[in-house]
This record gives sequence, structure tokens and C-alpha cells, in this order.
Amino acid sequence: MVAPTQASPAWRTPRLIPAHLGLRLTCALVGLVFAAPAVLVLARAALLSGDLVPLARQLGGPLWRSIQLSVLVSFTAAIVGTLLAWLLTRTDLPGRRTWRVLLVLPLVLPSFVGAAAFIAGLAPGGVLHLALDAVGITPPRRFRGLGAGWLVLSAFTYPYVLLPVSARLSTVPQSLHDSARLLGHSPWSTFVRVTVPHIRASLAASTLLVFLYTLSELGAVQLVGYDTLTRVVYASRLVDRPTSFGAAALLAVAAAGVVLGERRLRGRPQVRQDDRTALVPGRLISLGWAAVPATAVCALVATVGLLVPLASLGLWAQRGIASGRVDLGQLIDPARSTAVVSVAAAALAVIAVLPVALASVRHRHPGAGLAALGVAGGFAVPGLVIALSLAYLTLNTPLLGRFYQSAGLLVVAYVVHFGLQALGPDEQAERSVPQPVREASALLEPSRWRRIARVDLPLMTPNLVAGGGLVLLSTVKELPATLLLSPIGFSTLATAIFHAYEDGFYAEAGVASLLLVAVSAALTWLLVLRRGLTG
Amino acid sequence: MRHRSIVPAFLSLILVTAACGGGGDDDVAGGASGAEPENGTVTIYSGRTENLISPILEEFTAETGVEVEVRYGQSADLALLIEEEAAAGETRADVFLSQSPGSIGLLEASGRLTPLPEDVLALVPENVRDSDGRWVGFSGRQRVMVYNPELVTEAELPASVFDLTDPAWKGRIGIAPSNGSFQDFVTTMRATEGDEATALWLDAMVANEVVSYANNNAIVAAVARGEVDAGLVNHYYNHQFLIEDPSHPARNHQMVSGDPGATLITTGAAIPQGAANPEAAAELIAFLLSESGQRYFADQTFEYPLATGMAPSGEVPPIDFADADIDVAGLGGGLTATRDMITGAGLEG
Repeated sequence: MVAPTQASPAWRTPRLIPAHLGLRLTCALVGLVFAAPAVLVLARAALLSGDLVPLARQLGGPLWRSIQLSVLVSFTAAIVGTLLAWLLTRTDLPGRRTWRVLLVLPLVLPSFVGAAAFIAGLAPGGVLHLALDAVGITPPRRFRGLGAGWLVLSAFTYPYVLLPVSARLSTVPQSLHDSARLLGHSPWSTFVRVTVPHIRASLAASTLLVFLYTLSELGAVQLVGYDTLTRVVYASRLVDRPTSFGAAALLAVAAAGVVLGERRLRGRPQVRQDDRTALVPGRLISLGWAAVPATAVCALVATVGLLVPLASLGLWAQRGIASGRVDLGQLIDPARSTAVVSVAAAALAVIAVLPVALASVRHRHPGAGLAALGVAGGFAVPGLVIALSLAYLTLNTPLLGRFYQSAGLLVVAYVVHFGLQALGPDEQAERSVPQPVREASALLEPSRWRRIARVDLPLMTPNLVAGGGLVLLSTVKELPATLLLSPIGFSTLATAIFHAYEDGFYAEAGVASLLLVAVSAALTWLLVLRRGLTG
Repeated sequence: MRHRSIVPAFLSLILVTAACGGGGDDDVAGGASGAEPENGTVTIYSGRTENLISPILEEFTAETGVEVEVRYGQSADLALLIEEEAAAGETRADVFLSQSPGSIGLLEASGRLTPLPEDVLALVPENVRDSDGRWVGFSGRQRVMVYNPELVTEAELPASVFDLTDPAWKGRIGIAPSNGSFQDFVTTMRATEGDEATALWLDAMVANEVVSYANNNAIVAAVARGEVDAGLVNHYYNHQFLIEDPSHPARNHQMVSGDPGATLITTGAAIPQGAANPEAAAELIAFLLSESGQRYFADQTFEYPLATGMAPSGEVPPIDFADADIDVAGLGGGLTATRDMITGAGLEG
């Protein structure tokens, strides 16, 4: 039990209720399921590892490079994502509805094809090359190393920050902004003194997401020739399994350290929940002349993250369509499968981590931290490791064998791998229901379910759908688990892109990628933006 | 305590969803087994991509009446999955088709492959099959140097990969050190030239500022855009790039016969231990090595047919098969040592 720290009427402090047994057991189960792959990797690494000294020598460099890249990318994504979120939710930026869709889309391209298309854009004849030429800059001959990895990954990961922070911003009560402005604060001062404290938890959780994503990313770092720990996991998986498992275990440990650090730093929320709700549409800050540079920022980010890769993909696709080599009809089934599994995974992920969010926010139960650590474990290890671990677990557990390579297991794999993306938003959703509102509704409406449907859910929705949106956008591009764990003959747009790209069928890869972007844009708009970020 | 009953509700929802997933799937599986075709079904784990192999698999079904089910993926990942399945006694794959010998080598080393029937083995010459009869090669890709004619003159083209350590090539060559076929090439070099010469060559290439790429595709693309002047790859990729984009500038150059830089890398077929339908699996492998199967690989994917008496397509330069001194059987097992040598030279193995 945490005692209230601020002098305020007792009825206004959130009442912390000890988590009851059902919730604690659910949390433990959720944490266990999510942590299973990482724990299995640690166990196998321990069993296989021979001599630790040469292993440490071999992995030291890649670990350091992984950390450098992850720190750079997560900080960049935090700044870019927050700035865009603020512009898109709090200001009268022209065309913001369109920007809201466009600016989350860089997340959907599988990184191997996104990075390849980006690099192709830099090549002679590519859009970026032509643009740089036009302004008199000689493009670099080689696009490689830390700087290249930083640019590509930042351009593809800032939506991890943009979506949750936008959702949080749209639930900050307008009255606070009004008060700050009435007291004579400038928009900037209002942002620093009112907005930042409110988005702090969201921002920290989503920056952590980008950090962990970068840690386990393969496609882009491989293409820009940057040797990270995850690359070692893959490169040594066939011929040197102790090294492969050792590197994967090290990733899991590094991730656990970062997650624990973030939870400790985060501490208790700085802001006590205001008892008024944010459902009153807020007035927007008028940008005035600043709309020009603001639009330029949005355009620049969209160009790097979306336009450059799309232009290259479009060029590949157009060549294929012109010569009649690509059959769009073959992509209809994969497109449908992509939509179905990603929506299922998103919904299930939001629900699966909700007990953990509940225990951690409402009850501040110490076990919730442990469960959250388990959830993070699923995100921090590479997709291939998740796939093989789940294969091992289902094949060797008597009752689970029948789920091996079923659609159900595939969706579970997505949830285990991406559930962390829904945890931060779920926690935020819990915080969005003010305690007095909860109590007042309990007095007025005796039916718990009607209360949840009419009071809690409407307040929680923006954050819940933002979390679901992140899971959805990650699932549409997932590859290793889809290839190994799906029912046989099942294919998604991501697997279609992969197969085409692997053997140099760039035209087909281009068409399938454009279709993936289109499907994701439609789903994002229909399910996430239209319902979530109103106003 | 208002949310007390939510949690069990969510929990049951999760379980219901999971059960639906599993149940729905069982129905599908049940439906498939109910309509079991007369000649059975063969399940293939294919490291070769759908574009390259599905036409010939369809032909197999049309000819034999045996249905095929295919899981596509990277050869190494599929080998690891077969390893998990076989270790648990739950093998689902009847046939494993691998892009390179390395992935089959892993399964061979851990004893997860069953011997192939004699009549299947007899379809190929001895140098492209396992000495214990556990796998056969079914098509070949030659190692070549892909180059950009605007950056490399005809006169400069080397006869051997050993010429590339010359300072004239400093910073101009791309390789893919973590790629399976590069590692197979280095393993061949170890077999033909010895470990010492191989280690010296790797060191000299690093000293000559060789540039590392993720895979063959990335090298061909980099050569085409002039990022590097030339690269060591499998011959097949440049043909595909030319189909995609007729203005693609890069060309292939063959090293002299017998040079490790002209090694033939074979794709391989094997039957995992515990396969449910080994007869149909053997039938499929025999079909890939039949005249129509081999003609498909020669003419449609520009690879080298391996079955005795088959000629390659006119699009690719002929190689003297009998002369090429290839120790394919040795390529699988020695990969760990190969990778150690590659990383030892400071490359990203």
C-alpha cells in the first residue's frame, strides 16, 4: 500500500486496492507465457556454452554496437515522435488528418525491404540521388555503418512513439491547457510544464519499445553492414549454436536490464489524474506562420520514412506490371490473411496484457513488475528465436502438440513477440479513468458491465486502440514466426515480399510491398485513427 | 473491487480464442485428411523460394497424382525447425530442399536424415551426393565474379580469386561473408588449396579493403549502382536481375576452371528421419532429377543440371563438370571451422 504523498482530500487520492488472487494468478500466467521463449534461450545457452571467455570476447563488440545503435535510434525516435504527436493532436496544422495516417505508415514496411528500397533510392537514378543532385550535394557512394543504420531505423521506428504519445495527448484535459494559457504561459511553456509531465510515462514506455526493437532488428542492420548482436544470432545459427544461443541470451539479459531500469526511473506517475475527463474536444493551438516549418518537418519525415522507399518500390512494381510479369490476383489471399491475423493478434495482445497493466497501475502490485519483465522478454529476443522456442515448447509438451503449426499458435507467437507494444498503452488506458469518475459511476450504475461499457471503455479507448494499432502494424510485417509456425500453405504479404525479394524478383516484391502499405493504411485508418484520436 | 470479475472473463476469452484457433485448424486438417488423395501427400520444407520451385512441383503432382504441401523459408531456419521436430519425434517434413549444402550438413551431423534409395542416388554422379547416401544435389550454381563494365575493363578481369588480393583491386570487391554460399566457397578453397592458403587469402582480402554485404542480391545491386566495382556471388542472381531490368549494367565473369572461385555450389534434397511418407518423398526427389525436372532448372532458373548426361541452358557458359574438382561431400561438416577462419580474418562471419 502506498500512502498518498500530496495533501489532498482523501476522496481524491486513487484508492489502492490489494490485487486479489485471481488477478495475481492471471498476471503470473501472462508473464510466464511471454517469458517462456527468453527463459528457454537462457536455459539452452547455459547448457550449450562451453568456454565463456572466448564467447565474451566474440560478443563484446557486437553488444557495444547494438547498444550504441539502440540508444541513438530510441532518442531520435522519442524526439521526432513527440514533436509530430504534438503537432498532429494539439495544433491546427493544415492537413493533419492526412498526416496522421501517412506518418504512422513507415512502421509497416518489413525492414529488409524498406532498407533495401531506401538504399536503392540513394543509388544513381534513385529519387534521393536525383534530389540530392538537384541541390548540388554529391550522395555518398556507400550507405553503410552506424550512421546509415541510425537514419533508416529512426525513420522506420518513430511511429512507435508517435501513436502512444498522440493517444495520451488526446486524453490530457483541455482545461489544464486553458488554465496554463490563462495564466500567461506561452504554447512552449505550456508544453513543457503541462504536456510533458502528462506524456512522460507514455514517452518512456514507447522509447523503451524503440530501444528493444532496435536491439532485436535484423533486416536493416544486415543491409547497412552493421554488425550487431542480433546479426550474430542469425549468422551463427547453423554452424555455431553455442554462440548463437549465447548472443540471444545476452540480448535477453540486456533487455531485462533496460526494462528494469526504465521501471525504476519511471517511479510513480508525477501527475495525479485530473478528475475531469478529456472527452470534451479541445481547442487547438493556432500555429500561424509556424505552420510552414511544421509542415516542412512532417514532409521531411514522410519523405525519408515513406516517400523514398515507396518511390523505389513503385519503380520496381511499375517495371513488373509493364512487362506483365506480376499477377495481382495471387496477392489477394495473402492480403486477406495478413489483415485477419494482424487484427486478431492486435486484439488478443491488448486483452492479454491488460491484467498486467491493471495490477501495475491500479494495485501497484510488485508481481506486476515481474510480469511486465516477462512481457518485455518476448519483444527483446529476435523473431526466429521466438518461433523456434514456441516450436520446441509445443512439440515437447504433451497436450500442446496439436497446436504446433496451427493458426492459433501463430497468433500466440505474434502476441508473445509484440505484446509489450500494447502494455504501455494499456497502462495509460487504466490511468485515463479518473478515480472520482469511477466512484461516481459506481453510485449511479449498479451493473458492473454496463459501467465498463459506458464509462470505463470510452475513456480507455484511445489508448487501447493505439496499443492495438502498434501490434497490428508490427504483425503485418512479421516474418520468421509466420514462415515457421503458420499452417502449411499459409502466406501473408510479408512472406510474399520475402520470397520475391530473396530471389531478386523485385517487381513482385515492389507490388506486394505497396499492397502491404495500402492494407496497413486502410486498417490503421479504420480501426485505430478513426476511433482513437478524435478531434 | 469493481474489476474483480473482469480478469477471469478476459482469461476465459483468451482461452476461448486459443481454443477456436486450434479447433478451427483441426477442422481444416481433418478436412484435408478426409479428402486424402489416392497417392498420398508429400510435405516439403523448401529453402528454395516459391517462384523458383513451385512450377516443377505442380508438374510432379500432375504426373504422379501425389499432392504436395510446401513450407517455404530460409534453408537454415527450416533445418533448425526440422532439428526441433526430429528431436521431439514429431517430424512433419517428408522432404527438405536446401539452397546450399550447409543447412543439410547440420541435419546430417546430428543424424536427422535417412538414407536415400539406391536408385535415386544413382541418378547423379558421385561428386554431387553424400558419400553415406543421405542427400543428393539436384541443381548447381556456379561461383562467379559479377562486375560493372563501366568500372572494370575486360583486360582487368582476373583468372582466379587469388588475383583479387592485388592492390589494383583495393576497395573494389564486395563479398557476403555471412552468406552460406560464400562459406561453401571458402570450404571448397580449404579442400583444394589447404587451410593455410585459405587463411592467407582471407587476410589479404581484408587488407585489400574488401566490402561486406548481407547476401548475393545486395552485392549484385551494389555492383549495378557502382558502389563496388565487382563482387563474388553465385552466377544465377545476375540473370534474374537482367530479367527484372534489361538496362541492369552488371555482368558475370567466370574464373578459370578448377579455381575455387569457379566452384559449383549444389542445392540439396534429403529425407528427414521419421518422415511420414518416405516413399513419396523419394519419388519427388527422383522426379527433380528426371529429365523434365533437370530441364526445368536448366532453362527456367538458369542453373546447372546435375543428373548424369544433362546439359545446361545456352544462356549460361558451360562448365567442365568432370574437370571441376569438387569435394561436395566435405562441404557440410567443415563449416564451423570455415566460419571460424572467416571471423578470424576480421570479417562478419
